[in-house]
Amino acid sequence: MITVKNPGMQTTVQDRGRIGYQKYGISPAGPMDARSFTLANILVGNTHNEAGLEAAFTGPTLLFEEDNVIAVTGGDLQPKLNGQNFPMYRAVSVKKGDRLSFKGMNGHGCRAYIAFAGGLDVPVVMGSRSTLIKNQIGGLEGRSLKTGDRIGFLKPVSSYPDMDQRVIWPERFGAKTITLRVLPGPQDFEFTRDDQLEFYWFDAEITNDFDRMGARLNIRHPLKGLHDGNIISDGIAFGSIQVPTNGQPIIMMADRQGIGGYAKIGTVITPDLPLLAQAMPGDRIHFIKMDIRTSQNVYRRAVSELMDLNQELNGVREYI
Amino acid sequence: MDFKILLCGDSAVSVVMGDSISLDVNRLVLRLQKSLEERPVKGVIEMIPSYASLMIQYDPMELSYEKLCEEIQAHTEDMPEIEEQDALVKEVPICYEGELGPDLEECARLQGCSTEEVIRMHASHLYYVYMLGFAPGHPYSARFEEPFKFKRRPEPRLKIPGRSVVVQQNLSDLIPFDQPCGWNIIGTTPLNITDFSRENSFLVSAGEWVKYIPVSRAEYDTIRSDVEAGTYQVKSYRKEDAES
Repeated sequence: MITVKNPGMQTTVQDRGRIGYQKYGISPAGPMDARSFTLANILVGNTHNEAGLEAAFTGPTLLFEEDNVIAVTGGDLQPKLNGQNFPMYRAVSVKKGDRLSFKGMNGHGCRAYIAFAGGLDVPVVMGSRSTLIKNQIGGLEGRSLKTGDRIGFLKPVSSYPDMDQRVIWPERFGAKTITLRVLPGPQDFEFTRDDQLEFYWFDAEITNDFDRMGARLNIRHPLKGLHDGNIISDGIAFGSIQVPTNGQPIIMMADRQGIGGYAKIGTVITPDLPLLAQAMPGDRIHFIKMDIRTSQNVYRRAVSELMDLNQELNGVREYI
Repeated sequence: MDFKILLCGDSAVSVVMGDSISLDVNRLVLRLQKSLEERPVKGVIEMIPSYASLMIQYDPMELSYEKLCEEIQAHTEDMPEIEEQDALVKEVPICYEGELGPDLEECARLQGCSTEEVIRMHASHLYYVYMLGFAPGHPYSARFEEPFKFKRRPEPRLKIPGRSVVVQQNLSDLIPFDQPCGWNIIGTTPLNITDFSRENSFLVSAGEWVKYIPVSRAEYDTIRSDVEAGTYQVKSYRKEDAES
């Protein structure tokens, strides 16, 4: 059990997301940075899509009411345990009475993931524990955490015999310009040749309008498109770059709607989405084109790396 | 079968079955979905049907793009039929009176006819549900006869109440929860469009039909209290039975 002493700006319960309900108009939710989320779960020995916390920008203060093994990954929100620096990217045994807090962002990413061995005990709603704030579904009453919330652990463990093995090299976020690889389509043919050249030549800037639903970008030459930018509404993937009539792209993220009516010039490849999830308004994006075969190889390599780590630490070669 | 496969990143494709919003094209989309549900392809994670295309999300660890394209080709050559007469019709009571139909008079003015005529046009036809989206359980539905002349309101409202029935041209949508909306509110249904406490949370699904049943304010209140008590049964039947 943990008690929330301070919720931070936006801390939500997430597992890998709600699968199979987009056809009913329900966004999948799940972590913005799925890689950091999964790394944290693997470090604490979770192998079945257990729920943890996504903490954005400031991070919560949590009081532990019982022992457990936890790990913090993702953006560096400067975690502290009882006021002392808390190491990220490693499993740590915390004791009853310990207090995990965060000093906040230091320019190296903005979303931290806190995994708890055995996972958090919140109700499963439509197959998932993920919080979808906009529709008040899942997580803790469908909302961000607030002061006084108490969340139980499903199967806490006080320690593992190999605690000192459960450490990996930290990821480092915070580049002011990130490169995102893009697979053109599904409606790249709706854009002019100039649109395409400029989209991949000039950087885009992330605006303040960046939340779990998507990131609105600002580009120097708004994309004109061949028509009015409206298409027969169709499905939207995580990373879809849709272009509304004003020509300024929006990259769709975890809480995206399932269907939309704007043309989409391309889709950011899955392994690059964590870079975007950890970026901040004002950061710049350089897009480069990639083909389907290469992008699927990159995808498989990224997932294999996680599976290898899972095998090494937990003896399960499974993608969680 | 004429279809196009569009790339939606490294782990999704959109299978485009036609280039119009029509019953025929949407039926193809739902037939392909049904085919993939009945004979699942390992690695397919989720499907999202829309007007004219089926988005297929898949795991490249289990299924390559090339293999998926072959599977889609095979499925399109042998899709299960969806018999029109088997399609389900759901009866949706609607009250057009007073504050429950705040834009009814505006609709009549825009259409250039009486409010009775607007209600007749709205309630005397079946509406086909193309897809759900935007909000949980929100149907995109349309009739195929007698479209209204008017489109959206000049300024969208920042918030309209859940259970509103909103219209423009041949479209009539059921609004599950409070939301911003630029369409005219012709009436309100006493039914919960989406209710997570129900076993089947969603009133309608893609491919089904909606039949509006005009009710008085008194009937509306009765149905509403039955819905709140959990005792109301939504009437549904096969389309064939509706026509006979």
